Amino acid sequence: MKKFLFIALAAITLSSCADVSGALFAGGDGTYDFKNTYLDPEFQVDESKIHLLDLESGTQDTIYALYVGDFAQIATDTIIVFLHGNTPSMDSYWQTAGLFANLVNKHHYGFIMYDYRGFGWSTGRSTGAESMAADYDAVLSFLQSQGLTSERMVVVANSLGSLPAGPAAAGGSRIPVQKLVMEVPQSTANVIMQNATGLSLPASMITSYKFDLGQNMEDYTGELLWMHGTEDAVAPIETAEAAMQKHQGTYYQEAVYDGAGHGLRWDIGDEEWSKVVLDFIRH
Amino acid sequence: MLRKTLLGALGALIIATGCTPTKVVVPLKEGQWQIGVTQGRPQINEGYLPVIGAYAAKGVSAAKTNYGGIQFSSLLLGAVQLEGGQIRSWIPQQGIKPGVSWSFGGQAFMSTRDYAFRFYPETGINAYWQKGPHIVNASANTWVDPTWFLADFGRGQILAPSFSAGYRLRYKWFEAQLEYKILNPTRDIHIPQAYVPGTSGLGGRGFFYGMAINF
Repeated sequence: MKKFLFIALAAITLSSCADVSGALFAGGDGTYDFKNTYLDPEFQVDESKIHLLDLESGTQDTIYALYVGDFAQIATDTIIVFLHGNTPSMDSYWQTAGLFANLVNKHHYGFIMYDYRGFGWSTGRSTGAESMAADYDAVLSFLQSQGLTSERMVVVANSLGSLPAGPAAAGGSRIPVQKLVMEVPQSTANVIMQNATGLSLPASMITSYKFDLGQNMEDYTGELLWMHGTEDAVAPIETAEAAMQKHQGTYYQEAVYDGAGHGLRWDIGDEEWSKVVLDFIRH
Repeated sequence: MLRKTLLGALGALIIATGCTPTKVVVPLKEGQWQIGVTQGRPQINEGYLPVIGAYAAKGVSAAKTNYGGIQFSSLLLGAVQLEGGQIRSWIPQQGIKPGVSWSFGGQAFMSTRDYAFRFYPETGINAYWQKGPHIVNASANTWVDPTWFLADFGRGQILAPSFSAGYRLRYKWFEAQLEYKILNPTRDIHIPQAYVPGTSGLGGRGFFYGMAINF
């Protein structure tokens, strides 16, 4: 028994407590070459309305955001705040920006997306809930200073973007979230651990990033649209569904597509995707 | 590149926490010690990733060997993973009829972040053929999850089985081990944005190597 206790104590002492949360983030280089050349004809934008912003996040880092629209729109129109998925930079979502900029008609809504720390040109490193919340808040701070109010803000979170969007919707947003789109969201940090091991191990065995979108949705009082594909191999539908259906807010809508994977918009097509999102925004 | 390395480490670790190599197949001689290191190489994407552990075993009688081990890869990321148990000879080998041994023990995990603790009893059975220094074995093992109900959204399972085949070269002072293992084939092993090759789409798989000294 003494030997076992010695080994256990030695193991705790030796443990370096490295955190794998950084490994979950796929941040990388970005070019930020946002031009019409790279957009489908129907998603072309007025290039004078493309604005690359650098915003202070926390005390040491600068994150980059792309705003498409007139700045004056922020104080008067609906603004889409897009939290992108786990790709090296927001370059991958330029087409998405074009799509949003052409919902209804050209530049009907303002659109903003941003790179988390360590993604694209954003400095520093995403490490978990704290850094993600700070980056989100940096963008919201800018939008608030430009006059955005809660009833005109729509938060759209894709995959990884659901991790900061969840706590924001649950009360952690300086502009309260009233409309939220969760596209192919994850569910909980524990689920990632448990799906990988087949055991009831909590995520704290490998990371301090303890997100729980189920709890977030339970605490979120606004409107929710959840979009998912049944064949999603990155964010399994069973657990995402369980998390999203905990929502107790004022309005709930789900759009589940048989055979669609994690690239939902590509699988179901822009037309269907735009229709569902637009119906929700106008609801 | 850094991310690939880190994701690899994550993948390796989380597969490692789901399964460790078989420590001893044929019980040691009474009073004999064996100290070894094992390297698991579960397959993630197209590559095999290293998972390192160490163990000590002692023959407490001619038919019983106790063992204990630690997984360093888990430790690196903040989970203390210790294991211990006993292997017993059940049916001696007779000619080409294999010998059979069975094992029982447990795996303990503790997070150094919030001290969350999990304990998984395990049991297994090995069929082996020994000729001189050569040992060939086929094994089946299962971990039991007594806290399956703590899994989020009720997705826990009570049993986490694995099946393996291996070869061991055992000399008086030295043993080399090689094992191929099918991990947890009763469920879909899933790591975000990574491919875990399984068997008929289920579980994971990997190679495990070991080196030990006997004294």
